[in-house]
Amino acid sequence: MSKHGIRIEHLSKRYGSGDTAVDALKDVNMNVAPGEVVGLIGPSGSGKSTLLKSLGAVITPTSGKMTLGEQTIFEQDWKVSDLRALRRDKIGFIFQSPYLIPFLDVVDNVALLPMLAGVSNSEARARALELLTALDVHHRAQAFPSQLSGGEQQRVAIARGLINRPPVILADEPTAPLDSERAMAVIRILNDMAKKFETAIIVVTHDEKIIPTFKRIYHIRDGVTTEEVGEGRLPD
Amino acid sequence: MINFKPHKKAVALTIVIVPLLILLGYVVINSGPLAPVKVVTTEVQTKSLQPGLFGIGTVEARYTYTLGHAYAARVKALFVDVGDEVNAGDVLVKLEPIDLEQRLNAKLAAVKAANASIAEAEAKLDFAEAQAERFAQLYKTEAVSADDLAAKQQAAAIARAALVRVQDERDRNEADYQALVVQRQELDLLAPADGIVIARNAEVGSTVPSGQTILELIDPASIWVNVRFDQISAAGLRKGLPATIILRSQQNVQLDGQVARVELKADAITEETLAKVVFAQTPEPLPRIGELTEVHVSLTELEPTLVIPNAAIHRVNAELGVWRVRNGDLQFVPITLGRADLNGDVQVLKGLQDGDAIVLFSERELSARSSIHIVESLVERSE
Amino acid sequence: MISLAGRDILHSWGKFIFTGIGLGLLIGVTFVMAGVYRGMVDDGKALLDNSGADLWVVQQNTLGPYAESSSLNDDLYRTISAMPGVAEVANVTYLTMQVRKEERDVRAMVVGIVPGDRFAAPGWPPYLVAGRYLTRGHYEAVADVATGFVIGDTVRIRRKDFTIVGLTRRMVSSSGDPMIFIPLKDAQEAQFLKDNDATWQSRRRTEANPAFNQPGSSAITQAVIDSQTTNSFVNAILVRLDAHVSQDEMAQRISRWKRLTVYTRAEMEEILLGKLIATSARQISMFLVILAIVSAAIIAFIIYTLTMDKIREIAVLKLIGTRNRTIAAMIMQQALVLGIIGFVIGKITAAFAAPLFPKHVLLLTQDAFIGLFLVLVISALSSVIAIRMALKVDPAEAIGG
Repeated sequence: MSKHGIRIEHLSKRYGSGDTAVDALKDVNMNVAPGEVVGLIGPSGSGKSTLLKSLGAVITPTSGKMTLGEQTIFEQDWKVSDLRALRRDKIGFIFQSPYLIPFLDVVDNVALLPMLAGVSNSEARARALELLTALDVHHRAQAFPSQLSGGEQQRVAIARGLINRPPVILADEPTAPLDSERAMAVIRILNDMAKKFETAIIVVTHDEKIIPTFKRIYHIRDGVTTEEVGEGRLPD
Repeated sequence: MINFKPHKKAVALTIVIVPLLILLGYVVINSGPLAPVKVVTTEVQTKSLQPGLFGIGTVEARYTYTLGHAYAARVKALFVDVGDEVNAGDVLVKLEPIDLEQRLNAKLAAVKAANASIAEAEAKLDFAEAQAERFAQLYKTEAVSADDLAAKQQAAAIARAALVRVQDERDRNEADYQALVVQRQELDLLAPADGIVIARNAEVGSTVPSGQTILELIDPASIWVNVRFDQISAAGLRKGLPATIILRSQQNVQLDGQVARVELKADAITEETLAKVVFAQTPEPLPRIGELTEVHVSLTELEPTLVIPNAAIHRVNAELGVWRVRNGDLQFVPITLGRADLNGDVQVLKGLQDGDAIVLFSERELSARSSIHIVESLVERSE
Repeated sequence: MISLAGRDILHSWGKFIFTGIGLGLLIGVTFVMAGVYRGMVDDGKALLDNSGADLWVVQQNTLGPYAESSSLNDDLYRTISAMPGVAEVANVTYLTMQVRKEERDVRAMVVGIVPGDRFAAPGWPPYLVAGRYLTRGHYEAVADVATGFVIGDTVRIRRKDFTIVGLTRRMVSSSGDPMIFIPLKDAQEAQFLKDNDATWQSRRRTEANPAFNQPGSSAITQAVIDSQTTNSFVNAILVRLDAHVSQDEMAQRISRWKRLTVYTRAEMEEILLGKLIATSARQISMFLVILAIVSAAIIAFIIYTLTMDKIREIAVLKLIGTRNRTIAAMIMQQALVLGIIGFVIGKITAAFAAPLFPKHVLLLTQDAFIGLFLVLVISALSSVIAIRMALKVDPAEAIGG
């Protein structure tokens, strides 16, 4: 595997302490290369969410190591001082529900991240439009999220996840609300984008339709990951 | 490509916000210290004033006669009632003496007693004089001493004086008796002049103490109004001025009259000048004595001068003046005032020129810095 | 950086405007309430200003003529007018009563002033809005427009009919009753006059008293009755001083030598504002405090609700790396904008509602500024709860947990 991308070694997370302690994550090992899209599959309560939150730097794991590209971001503790900036600049999020900001139009929803990072409004919007064009939703740039279809919303969400060119994108059930055709379209976009922007994408899902599209799949059960080689059948 | 049209919402919001801001601006300009004061202006005019006086008074009769009797008596008969017209010399009341006969008898007895006393005194005198004569003879014969003769002569002088005293007593009683006789004849009360009875204070059979008024008469032709004018505005009041009289009972009728007299004595307490105003024609029916009246006296018309309404007069720093409007600016002009009439016009002697625009009414007190907004009227007309 | 607050407001402007209107009405009520207080103070001052007096001479040891009844002989003014330094002196009477016009009653303060050529004498209304000043010594009246009378109306005060010849504005007693100016003599009579029945009874009582009704001297009875039906008292003497004379010094001289109580303008203001309306003022300030608390609670509640509505978005914003400061600023800006909308609408509402109130409502510009400042402070403070809540939101919530 390439040394760029994200690597997780022996990650564990324990909630609480003493007798009531729960080990949500016991031993998680993952390694996703830039440009690669992997699936993360597990039943409810398997530790999937905890893993995602750890990767998203919103909770602090108990032990283990996470490396983003060349940078070790976690080893026993966070190795970066500004987790917000880390999330903003290095990690893209795509959610089950798109969670677009309802009072911002499509362009600004996407451009918000670079704006927060201090990029000028016009440049941020230009970058957003570029990305929206690539995702083929630029014609709705002036629309508000409530005026978009589910697929359009998800594509805008993807654009938002990609806008800062993060090395890693975490996608949480990105296809759940979509029919299979649109789900496949989303997967294709993710694959295209992964290649185009050299991004490592982790797709958390239990959507049977899209599981065959992954080349590699991580299963998680009781806080332990196992790796499986997938079919890698991308739709045309 | 990057061509941002303004949001529709922004447009809609503008439509709401802009009128709100305009309203706010309107409110700030029109209700704060910046707000112009609405005023009504007028022009200084040249015209002649007819000053007038206004006073209130009561209807009174110039001559009021009160009939009574000098001694206590009982009313025997009353021939008139309130409202009756009487002629001079008519018998109006017959009175009955209460104890006059008894007093007459008493006086008569006193006269008789006095006559008896005179007879007694005469007898005493005769005897004393005879004694004195006899002792004078005896003294010549030196039968009695000079002392004895002097004693007898003194007794005769005393008897003579006693006679004079009882004669005077008789005369006095006689005179009293005659006075009572005259009184008995004067118990009829006669009308002193032509007139109308306005009050009857006693009835037949009632006893009236001496001096009490039994009847009051007035002369209807002499009815006038006793008017009080405030001294402040009584200048120019004099005899002969025409007046109009309004009776409280007939507020729509103006009666003509004339000032008959201006009293030389004013009322120091109420600070009023008193005057009498007579009716040109005695009104019919006769106004009630004591009825309230309003009297307008018209004074002589004055020469035409500059005139302003009194509502325009203001006081600024102890000076009377008006607010003159020139090119939309206010200026306080001190003025000297002359006479005023009852309609609220006042002469201006100094300070203004004909045609000057001045502030008549204002909705607030003015200052030289006030900005003004001239309007037609400050109140809704509803006349 | 775009303004998140601005965008949110722009997006849900209807909600903001309507909430703002509601809040505005509340703020409007607050302004009106403050205006009522200012109006009371202003009424008191107007009463003093309009009288045009430097000194008020009243009965010894009374707080008259406004706060307490006072009565003075009406010829006392002569001795005062003879004092050096006195420019003008005028008797005045005040009597609050019902004034009747046909079927209608108006509560008014009847003021007796010297009529005629004594222009702008103390006690005269300083300006008119219609008609003319009194010229006749009797039966004319100048009324405040607030009485509803118009020129030419005939009103009845006690037994006498008065014709309205002039109208004033803002001539009110300290309790806000409109004034009616009538000639002094009529006012003295009105103050004293009883109804006819009472006059008859008192006359009969006098006649029945043998001391007054001696046989043969009916003139005595008449004199006694006359003396019973006149009133030679006034409530106060208004004194205007020459420009250079000190009010205090003159007041001291009059009260010392004439055995009367004298108030200067400043003392009178203290009596009116400090004693007459102090309780009402406290009452109103309590209301103001309550209204301020209610306004604050409403702003806080609205902002809290608005924040609750977008708690998910806030979580997302936090997850994607928005700083707390940005989120707090967004909420506070919204609260401030809401406050400003409320202020604007409140100010407009108050300005248009004020003239509809029966008593004087005075809206001061300085109050508006204080109001604006308070609204902003209250808005900022009441957004604190919402901000605290927004900052406590765990960004992890955005990741379906």
